[in-house]
Parts: sequence; C-alpha cells; structure tokens
Amino acid sequence: MKIHFDSPQIEKEFPDRVITLPISEDANTNFAVGMALAGVKPIVDVITADFLYRTMDSICNTIPKEHFTSAPKTIIIRSEFMTASPTTGQRPEALFTHIPDLNVVVPSNPLDAHGLMDTVLETKGATLFFEDRMIEDKTTKPEDMDTYLDIIPLGKGKIRRRGHELTIVSYALTLRMLDLLFEKENLEYELIDLRSIYPVDYDLIADSVNKTCALLIVEPDVTYSGVGAEIACEISERCFFVEGTQPFPVENLRHPVKRLGAPRTTIPASRSLHDYLLPSEKRILEVAKELSR
Amino acid sequence: MTELLELYERMVKIRLVEDKLQELCLQGEAGDLHFSKGQEAISVGVCAALRQTDSIVTHHRTIAHEIAKGAALHPLIAEILGKASGINRGLAGEMHINNPTIRHMFSFQLVGTCVPVAVGLAYALRYYKKTDDVVAVFFGDAATSNGQVHEALNIAKIKKVPLLLVCENNGLAGNIRKEFYLPTKTVAERKAAYGIRGYTIDGNDVKKVMIATIGAVGAIREWSLPYLLDCETTRLCWHKQGQRDIRSPEEIAKLAERDPLLVCERRMDVLPETLEKTWKSIQKEIDEVFAKVKEDPYPTWN
Repeated sequence: MKIHFDSPQIEKEFPDRVITLPISEDANTNFAVGMALAGVKPIVDVITADFLYRTMDSICNTIPKEHFTSAPKTIIIRSEFMTASPTTGQRPEALFTHIPDLNVVVPSNPLDAHGLMDTVLETKGATLFFEDRMIEDKTTKPEDMDTYLDIIPLGKGKIRRRGHELTIVSYALTLRMLDLLFEKENLEYELIDLRSIYPVDYDLIADSVNKTCALLIVEPDVTYSGVGAEIACEISERCFFVEGTQPFPVENLRHPVKRLGAPRTTIPASRSLHDYLLPSEKRILEVAKELSR
Repeated sequence: MTELLELYERMVKIRLVEDKLQELCLQGEAGDLHFSKGQEAISVGVCAALRQTDSIVTHHRTIAHEIAKGAALHPLIAEILGKASGINRGLAGEMHINNPTIRHMFSFQLVGTCVPVAVGLAYALRYYKKTDDVVAVFFGDAATSNGQVHEALNIAKIKKVPLLLVCENNGLAGNIRKEFYLPTKTVAERKAAYGIRGYTIDGNDVKKVMIATIGAVGAIREWSLPYLLDCETTRLCWHKQGQRDIRSPEEIAKLAERDPLLVCERRMDVLPETLEKTWKSIQKEIDEVFAKVKEDPYPTWN
C-alpha cells in the first residue's frame, strides 16, 4: 500500500471532522492554531511539501511562539513529498528541525506512519508529519493497519537490519531503497531508520557506531545544512576516540562520518533527470564498502 | 449596559498604566513598548459589550485590551516588565500575551496573524464546542494590507464564523501614512468583496463603540456570522516607544482634541472635582501595583 493518506476516503468516513478550506495555506494553518486554542486537535493537510513555504510564517512564527509563551497544544501539519518539477519535488523537512518547539516526523513505511500518527496525536506540541508519495510497500495490506498495536515513542529510531561492519542511518524514501538494496545484495550493514528527524535518536546511533566503528548517512534531501550534517557532528562528538575519556570500545570511528544525498539543486521537470538526484545504488555500495573496510 | 463612569475609569486606568510604563521606558527600565494612547475607547467599549465567556484575540498593542477585558493589574505589569510573576511567566512580553483566565486567547506581534487565528477559534467554539460565544478580533487598518487578513475574511464568511472584526483605524501603519497603503476611502469598503456586513463608527466615543458592539454581537450570536466595525480613532503616542513620530507635535495636538477621555467627559454630567478624585484613586492603585511588581523576581532559565 501507499504511505500517504487518502483524503477523499477520510472525508467520506468522517464528514463532520473534515473542514474544507480555500487555497490559503498560511491562513489555514493559523486557523488551526485558533482551533487548538479552543481545545480541538487539528491536522492541517498541506498537500505537497513545496506548499509549506507558503505557510512558513504560521508554522515557524505563530505555532511555536504561541506554544512557548502559553502551553504546547497538539497541532499536526501533514505534507507529502513528490518528485515532478521545480516546485513539486522539494524536500524542506530539514529546515523545520532548526525551529525550536517543532517536531519533525518522517516515516518510511505505512505501519510506522500509522503508529507515529497515533503518537503525535497524543503529544502536546506541534509536529510536521511528512509522507513520501514514492514509497510503495507491496507487503503491507490495509487490514494490517487494524491489528497494528506498536506504540512508537517520538524520537525513537529503529534498527531495520542488523550488522557489524558499518552503521547506515537514513529515513523515508532512501531508507526504503537501502533496505531493498541490502536485502537483494545480502549485505550485513546495520541500517537505522530515524523515523523522526527531530528529535533524533542519538543514543541508538551512537550505540551502533560504537559497535561498527563507521557511519554513513544517506539522505533523500539536499545534504547541505541537512539532517546528516547535524548527526555527523553529534556522533563525531560522542564517538570519536579520545584517549582516556571513553573506556569502551578501544576503537571508535575509524573513518570520518560520510554523507550521501541529493545535490543542492532545483528539481528538473524531466523525469529522466530524477535518477541523478539521489545517490545511485552503485555509488552507495561503493562508499559502504570503502567505509566497512 | 455599563455605566459611562465605569467605562471612563477603565480608560483612565489604561492611560495611567501606559503613562507609567512610558516613564519606565524613558528611564531604560522597560523595553520599547507599543501603547494605545488615544485608542482606549475601542477596547473598553467593545469589551464592555462582551460576555465574560466571549474571547478576544488581539494585535501587538495589548495593554488596553488586557485591562479592558478585566485582567488583574499585577500579573499584567509583571509580564510587561519581564518578571516571573507575569501572566506568561515573563516569556511573552507585551506583544504576545495570552491570558485564558479572562479569555484573551491570543495576541501576536506580526501584523495580520491575529485575524485567521480568531477565525479558527470562533469556528471551533461554535461548531465543535457548540457554544454561543463570540470572538472579537482587534486589528489595525494597516493590517488590511496583509494577505493573511484577506484570506481570513474569505474563510470567515464562507464558514459562517461568529466573529466580531474590530478595526482600530488610526490611519497609520507604524510610521507610514494612509495614502501609502489604503487605496479605498475607508477600511470598511474592503469588506464588500467578502460579503461581510459592518460599518464605520467614531472609535473615540466609548458609548458609541459600546452600543454598536452590543448590536453587532447580538446579531453574531444569533446568526453566527462575521461582522466588521471600522472604528476611526487617533493614536496620540508614538508607534513604539523610542521611535520618532512622522507627525508634527501640532498635528498630534490637533488630534488630541478628539481624545476619547475628553469625548467621554463631555458626555458625562460629573463635577470636575469628582473626576479629579477618580484619577487620583486610580493613580494610587497603579502606583501600589508598580511598587509591588518592582520587588518581584525575574524568571530563571532551567
């Protein structure tokens, strides 16, 4: 099944809980702030991630500042990543990790999306909830959703594949791609799904890096000033070997932390160019092999 | 209906609190603040016509709205002076006060933001919480140049929200004159595009503001619709303390003839001695509060 939610179906099932508003992104998000003041839990459907720029003022100014000065309230802003053209293929998720009092959630599969949505609906505070239109999970069926009982705490990553040669951290689309790739190639790399890029589960990554002694971060986004840069810094501080400060293990980070991701470019319209935006399987395997040596 | 003397007292209270704060600004003991000197009749008149359970959502000149809606003076002044005993523990300052105990639900520094927030609040109160409460949102005429306000007016009408739109029309956007941002003759004309009803009133006459609000709120409560009151007023102070005014002292002196306190005094049949006594007793109350706030600790970060 696809990861993104089906608005027409929701409207059919819950007609009194879906409010259709004009194409006024910024006012709509502020409208949700007003609803939250009355004690209602709003989910704002900003359909495409590119449209988030239209509502940056309410997301970055109104919501967090109101929450800071009074009390945090549950507000969810959900949005989808696409890949189509210059303004329907951007991935602005890393921007929001810089703004205090916002959580940023990036599930990589339908079950996580379900569990994380349950969690953030019970979390006091604002959450940017990103769904990836390109993720198609052929093994998950809609009926699996009903039996899904896992509670996913906010800021807890998950180890998708066990390994001891190299830690690879990723999320959303690229995580899905890596999982399938390593399955196919039968490779033993430790693959960590961040699930939320704020807060980040640094303990999980650090524990893994202390075991494997190498870290590769693969992002579906522009690497410049991205999530990987932040993780690389934190893990370097935590795991770089300094004599006398860390009793175990003897050998920490063998290599500098490496990032792979999208170049700092606008998304071209021609589909044939999209394959160049994310690192190829060949390149990922090359770098991973180098780091696990 | 509230007695005129009581409304007068509230306006005097706002004026004296702001005067005292201005003094502190000039002494460097408070940051640069935004005052409502000359615009007090709007907040006092509107709030007098609201029920306690009705909410207000306001722009960045919050002191007048807070006092008009009935806030306790001590936590209000403590908040403005950044003390831990403030309404929002000193985190919000003058421009971001939110005080749910008196149902002052939201105020925001950025021009225009308050209107869509008020629309959402009014919608949720009416259609989710099923109350018949009304939301009054205060914004300046300059905010009507902002897209947020127009987006919000559009939604307000489509969604039939119980919202009183109070435009504090002082003919200035900070330090910019009307001709630079208002192509129409009045602000009220802009509502026509959205099919919203309302009219222009003298915002310096507290009694007129109150009576107009009583009528508007009655209609809003009954039929759940947005309604605009364009209140023409005069700002008799600087846009923000510490910023020089574009207007000459003569121009401000001319505007001061329309000072809402004078307008109200002319309406009241009270001896000058009685007024003097009122001013003195309010001044005494305020001085006591300021003295107490001075002793309060500043917040700590942990």
